[in-house]
Amino acid sequence: MEAYIIDGYRSAVGKAPRGSLRFTRPDDLAAAVIKHLVSSVEGLTEDLIDDVIVGNATPEAEQGLNIGRILSLMSLNTDKVPGMTVNRYCSSGLETIAIAKAKIEAGMADCIIAGGVETMSPIPFGGWRIVPNYELAKEHADYYWGMGLTAEEVAKKYKVSREDQDEFGMNSHRKAAQAISEGRFKSQIAPIEVEEIFVDQNEKKQSRTYIFDTDEGVRPNTSMEALAQLRPVFSAKGSVTAGNASQTSDGAAFVLVMSERLLKQLGLNPKARMHSYAVAGVPPRIMGIGPVEAIPKALKQAGLKQDDMDVIELNEAFASQSLAVIRELGLNPEKVNPNGGAIALGHPLGCTGAKLTVQALAELDRQNKRFGMVTMCVGTGQGAAGIFERL
Amino acid sequence: MQRKIRKVAVIGSGVMGSRIACHFANIGVEALLLDIVPRELTDKEKSQGLSLEHPKVRNRIVNDALASTLKSNPAALYKKSFKSRVQTGNIEDDLSKIKDCDWVIEAVTERLEIKQSVYQEVEKHRKPGSLITTNTSGIPISWLIKARSEDFQKNFCGTHFFNPPRYLNLLEIIPSPKTSSDVLDFFLDYGDRYLGKTVVVCKDTPAFIANRIGVLGIMNTFHLAKTLGLTVTEIDQLTGTLIGRAKSATFRTSDVVGLDTLVHVANGVSQACKNDEALDQFKLPSYLEKMVEKGMLGSKTGMGFYKKTKSDSGQKLILALNLDTLEYENQEKSKFDTIGQAKGFEDLGKRHKALIKGKDKAGEFYRAHFAQLFSYVSHRVPEITDEFYKIDQAVKAGFGWEMGPFEIWDAIGLDSGIKLAKDQGLSVAEWVEKLAKSEQPSFYKNEGGEVSFAKDSESFTPIPGRDKFIYLNDIRSSKTIWSNSESALIDLGDGIINLEFRSKMNTLGGDVLAGIHHAIETAEKSYDGLVISNQGKNFSVGANLGMIFMMAAEQDFDELNFAVKTFQDTMMRIRYSDTPVVLGIHQMCLGGGTEASLHADAVQASAETYMGLVEFGVGVIPGGGGSKEMAKRFSESLQDGDIELNRFRNAFLTIGQAKVSTSAEEAYDLGLLQKGKDRISINQDRVIVDAKAKALELARMGYTRPIQEKVRVLGRQGLGVVYVGAESMVSSHYISEHDQKISQKLGWVMCGGDLSEPSYVSEQYLLDLEREAFLSLCGERKTLERIQHMIQTGKPLRN
Repeated sequence: MEAYIIDGYRSAVGKAPRGSLRFTRPDDLAAAVIKHLVSSVEGLTEDLIDDVIVGNATPEAEQGLNIGRILSLMSLNTDKVPGMTVNRYCSSGLETIAIAKAKIEAGMADCIIAGGVETMSPIPFGGWRIVPNYELAKEHADYYWGMGLTAEEVAKKYKVSREDQDEFGMNSHRKAAQAISEGRFKSQIAPIEVEEIFVDQNEKKQSRTYIFDTDEGVRPNTSMEALAQLRPVFSAKGSVTAGNASQTSDGAAFVLVMSERLLKQLGLNPKARMHSYAVAGVPPRIMGIGPVEAIPKALKQAGLKQDDMDVIELNEAFASQSLAVIRELGLNPEKVNPNGGAIALGHPLGCTGAKLTVQALAELDRQNKRFGMVTMCVGTGQGAAGIFERL
Repeated sequence: MQRKIRKVAVIGSGVMGSRIACHFANIGVEALLLDIVPRELTDKEKSQGLSLEHPKVRNRIVNDALASTLKSNPAALYKKSFKSRVQTGNIEDDLSKIKDCDWVIEAVTERLEIKQSVYQEVEKHRKPGSLITTNTSGIPISWLIKARSEDFQKNFCGTHFFNPPRYLNLLEIIPSPKTSSDVLDFFLDYGDRYLGKTVVVCKDTPAFIANRIGVLGIMNTFHLAKTLGLTVTEIDQLTGTLIGRAKSATFRTSDVVGLDTLVHVANGVSQACKNDEALDQFKLPSYLEKMVEKGMLGSKTGMGFYKKTKSDSGQKLILALNLDTLEYENQEKSKFDTIGQAKGFEDLGKRHKALIKGKDKAGEFYRAHFAQLFSYVSHRVPEITDEFYKIDQAVKAGFGWEMGPFEIWDAIGLDSGIKLAKDQGLSVAEWVEKLAKSEQPSFYKNEGGEVSFAKDSESFTPIPGRDKFIYLNDIRSSKTIWSNSESALIDLGDGIINLEFRSKMNTLGGDVLAGIHHAIETAEKSYDGLVISNQGKNFSVGANLGMIFMMAAEQDFDELNFAVKTFQDTMMRIRYSDTPVVLGIHQMCLGGGTEASLHADAVQASAETYMGLVEFGVGVIPGGGGSKEMAKRFSESLQDGDIELNRFRNAFLTIGQAKVSTSAEEAYDLGLLQKGKDRISINQDRVIVDAKAKALELARMGYTRPIQEKVRVLGRQGLGVVYVGAESMVSSHYISEHDQKISQKLGWVMCGGDLSEPSYVSEQYLLDLEREAFLSLCGERKTLERIQHMIQTGKPLRN
């Protein structure tokens, strides 16, 4: 039984921790996107949905207590639809789509909402309480390294210069600014209504509401000179700066995955299908190189070649690792991140896989092309890649 | 009704105004800082489309001034968050807010008509009975109150702060004939207890007291440099810590103060004091005139008597000015026999005596300088003050001299001082001549710890107000009840004794520890409480490193183990005794000094206390109970439901990053002082008095030896974080591998070792871990290198 992607939406991405989505909890944010998705599919009734699978890289605090289940309750007008949370760090949002596909193809479900959410505004990177295993830490402290330090290690090992990283960062901003000014993201974004309740200067309680529907991390006017001014943040002798690393962000994105049977029953036109999904491990200290292992694996599963890909959404966790991956695999830079990446648009960890899927499918539409890939490095030494075909 | 200050307004946000406002913030008083409205927009404001009516523009001058003050170093605020206590505004929109202020301080441009127009406006809004004072240093107070109301005049006087007001301890109060005596009494008390200053009431004479004398001293030195052919570097060698003055001596101090400011005061005196017998001293030497013309005003213009540059190899280099050519040259220190001979005298008075006998150019300088100084101060009585001791007080507090001119004169001997002046062709005032011929030819007299001054040639009178303080210098000779080579026990009266450290830089060595034991024993037996404090430059810079180095270098671990155990036992004795032990600390209180404080029943800290467990800098962990104590404080801070690891991390990093507080207030934030238990004296001179009061209070409340409580340690849970954190810091080049090793050892101690679950252990268990870790680090070559480097250079080595 084939599984198809019917449609998908994402929120615009807010900057964390001081951006426009900071007043919106992750459950409220994700529920708004899911509601938007469900209402956009004609003829879909809630009782047809078998599961809500939510990717999240820090499933605690506001995102804890199995946010997947909370979301199925909050987004759908029924308590009959269950929900689960999946964590594979930065590929969580892609992983959930693969799980949905696998479940449907195995005949275990017909209709699944899959995607991810992450709000980094209220929750610190890595969570509130990090407790490394002491015995493991003695031998392998690098398993617990911060991501920035792994990016430095990749820069060093693959000889990616500071200048190249800055240039990559600048281009990300330029492409993203261009995409936004042309309105390329408009149709994929579920607008979010934000309400802020606060105390004003006179200690009077006030509230304001606004619609958030445009990615806010982009700096259209950044320059090599400005980027060169920034100091390394992860290492005293490093090259990774706030200007050539992804931004911390708030965002949510979901797709609807459906079996061929239900699709036909409802008379819907599928948008795409996922051909393959592969995850691979690499040494944790060079985490960023993960896609170099995952991409060939996913291509092989799909029986496709790198050149068959028309659009590649490569998550820009860091410019250093993005460039290392592009160079190692010889990816065509023209096809990589045509609308900019996480350096400009942000990286809401557990949401990113689903967000990039939504973006890739929309870009294939725009270019009227067939194959797209979503790939990313994943914490503690992993890489993930998923291949989609636009229908 | 007693006057209370809840809120002050400072008008004029220049260097002095902003910093005065910040100092009120420091002491917990809200400050409203006001300045004028700008007349023109900046380019930036234009580009932002702002008009002159925009509040951001209208407060720009004051906000910019405050911002630059907040950036200045040393910091104007005890801690950054106090900036919310300073509100800003402009005199057109916000002057009416002064109606809520209890004290308005005017610190605007030094021009009579401007000040008068400010007062006219102030009079419209000020609350009747509120204080209004000026920070002027140049305009006679009596001119300023013309045309003002009676209430204004009654509540008006000069309050002359010294820059930077947080750090310089002098407040000159200059009453006008109309100032009410209540107001004067109020400032005498408020300036001392609240603002932490030495308050000196001055006559309304040009430059008042401190600047009149201090600037004479500087100008005289300027002239002597030229006439004796001494270089800038040489003069600063001769006029710094060697004679009990600031390390920055004469020329470096001038650079910091700003030559324009100095010249302003000197010219002010020249113009206003035509009958001053030393008028020629206030004339600018020609090199100074040229420097002012060329804008070489000191640090603010990037060059003065010194200039910072970089050598060809990129090293920082400080060049000194050649006073003849006005070119900058490499600094070259000279060898003076006089310095070599005088350095042997620890006692500053005796050292002065030796200095003026010098046979070289340095001796010549000192003779000429002190002759002029003695002559000058003698003639200033009664012109600038009726009581000569105020000159000593003002110069010591305002210019940071360890001894005032009359104290130095006493040390040299009245007759010798008179002869010194006469040999230089100078006269001394008649009252000094008379005093020299009296039965007791000295300016001061110390009888049983009470210091009095020569009111005239016949009688001595106690120095007013001095009884409010305890000066160990005053009582040392009469009240010492016990001493060994490094410490002494002094009876403070009322059942409280004080242990004073007397070791070099007040380091904690064998005899200091023995002194602590003896002091506690003595207090337990025969007194109500013990204070451990001193009035040296710093409370203590830590353990005696030389001793540790010797034992470690010889790898004499039994000896070392014994020494560390003794240290730990002594610290524990401070806490677990049958008598209240209060530590009175000030200025630098590092390493072992901090460890002792951590174990006290209470600490009385000067607001200017710089505390920290800095042992990482010498390659070890705190071994005198400091590591244990931070673990204990972490444990005690825990509340149900806390994320323990995060609190642990903060306690760990206080040691791991060798954090040093920049004030006593900040020491609370670092967990080195504790609110409710430890207290701050804004006035450093009050630390011992306040510590004594605290000890008495503890005794009166019924003091019982504390019971040892178990300490919660995290075991493996905490160790994992330590290991990952330390390794990451090495991998990101922030710390060295040796730092990593020390961090792991510290983590081991603070977590109680690799216990499977968080557990409760005794203090002794932690002390044993701490000692073991300390000793093992002393066996490391890199630790020895660090200790040696610190001993030789006074700076930490990062190897």
